[in-house]
Amino acid sequence: MMNDDCRRTAERLSSYVDNELPAGEQADVERHLNACPPCRTAATHESGARAIVREQAHRLTDIPLPPGLRTRCEALAREHAQASAPSVFSSRRFAPLTAVMTLVVGFLLFSLATHRSDTVLAAQLTADHAKCFRFFAKNASSDADARRVEQMLQTDYGWDLHVPPSSSANGVRLRGARRCLYADGSLPHIMYDVGGHDVSLFVLDGVTRPAADLVSLGHRSRIWMAGRRTYVLVWPVAAGDMTVAARYVREEAR
Amino acid sequence: MARGREGDPRSADRHGEASRDTVAARALEFLEPLYATALRLTRNAADAEDLVQDTFVKALRFSDRFTPGTNLKAWLYTILLNTWRNRRRDAAREAVDIDSPRVEEAASGGEGPAALDTPEQILLRATVRDDLQAALDTLPEAFREAVWLRDVEEFTYAEIAEMVGIPIGTVMSRISRGRRLLYERLSLSRGQADAEGRLTR
Repeated sequence: MMNDDCRRTAERLSSYVDNELPAGEQADVERHLNACPPCRTAATHESGARAIVREQAHRLTDIPLPPGLRTRCEALAREHAQASAPSVFSSRRFAPLTAVMTLVVGFLLFSLATHRSDTVLAAQLTADHAKCFRFFAKNASSDADARRVEQMLQTDYGWDLHVPPSSSANGVRLRGARRCLYADGSLPHIMYDVGGHDVSLFVLDGVTRPAADLVSLGHRSRIWMAGRRTYVLVWPVAAGDMTVAARYVREEAR
Repeated sequence: MARGREGDPRSADRHGEASRDTVAARALEFLEPLYATALRLTRNAADAEDLVQDTFVKALRFSDRFTPGTNLKAWLYTILLNTWRNRRRDAAREAVDIDSPRVEEAASGGEGPAALDTPEQILLRATVRDDLQAALDTLPEAFREAVWLRDVEEFTYAEIAEMVGIPIGTVMSRISRGRRLLYERLSLSRGQADAEGRLTR
């Protein structure tokens, strides 16, 4: 049965349990609790749960970050520091964006991917390359079916891509695909095996940037553009000559 | 306290580059707590990772709106909670009015199971982190959020009110209901907890 006293007590219960009421009010609440068993039970339950959560707080928060998250954030912070320096584009191109609260991810991905340097892009994608293979393609022994990969990318993420299938003539085996987090968006990451080496194809939709070929963190990144997309193929330098496979993927991808 | 919300033109004044760089560097220190919070909000590792990265990117982009000397952690949490709320609103799933008396009834335990354990017994059982996490995850989101921000992150009522964008009285009542509901969840066996799931949605 709730009367006005109960209601007033209920309103102050969390402050009471947190010991944040002025002394006079604290005594008021206590007086009511002594006289009203249901409210007393509520107070006991509330302070019990409070004690348990606080007791366990350090364990509840002791959760390791997913691999790569810190690295990505650090890269973003470095890039931001560079962009904030007196720069040609940060104020002109990014200022209008800051005025907009609802952000269109595709557009942001476009602008960030367009403006970041090749080196940062290559380093980021190389990190993703290593991470995805380690965590997601470790046990994929058989070839993946390109059509099914395409369907998955379409239904799960809305990406409409042609995924270059396995090709024994070119020594290329499709392992699978997943979504990779990139800047504040995400992009398709298609994984291959070429002669026992891990090879990644990243697709940046709606992004245009000039072709490049560079080495970062022991991996070669080949960047090219086709249509409204930029493709980046990443493979370990140690894999040696990749000419045939790279040409095949480049001709097939669209 | 953090100054303003995203998109608040009053808070768009400029500070030096040095403070912006400091925001970026110091924000990196909060990745772990942000991720732990994101995980409890989303209950899903991939969504939590997305949410934290989104939060970080926005923190960088809006870093010139942060007032140096104020609570950076609270400011970051505000961004995290706003971002999550915007996504949730898009998903438009929360149909129950969380602050209604009906939910109060569900949380009050008045008609609940008769034999609840003592706090000590529950504490013993909840020493396995996963049990407490699982119990927290069964709470309606608004309650889970309030209890987490208060008892895990130890924000003040006023800070939570500003972060979540609700009156301070609502914050207190959500904390109170959330704690009591959590207590019940912890005192129920797993099977019973599932059967009681209807109370939460």
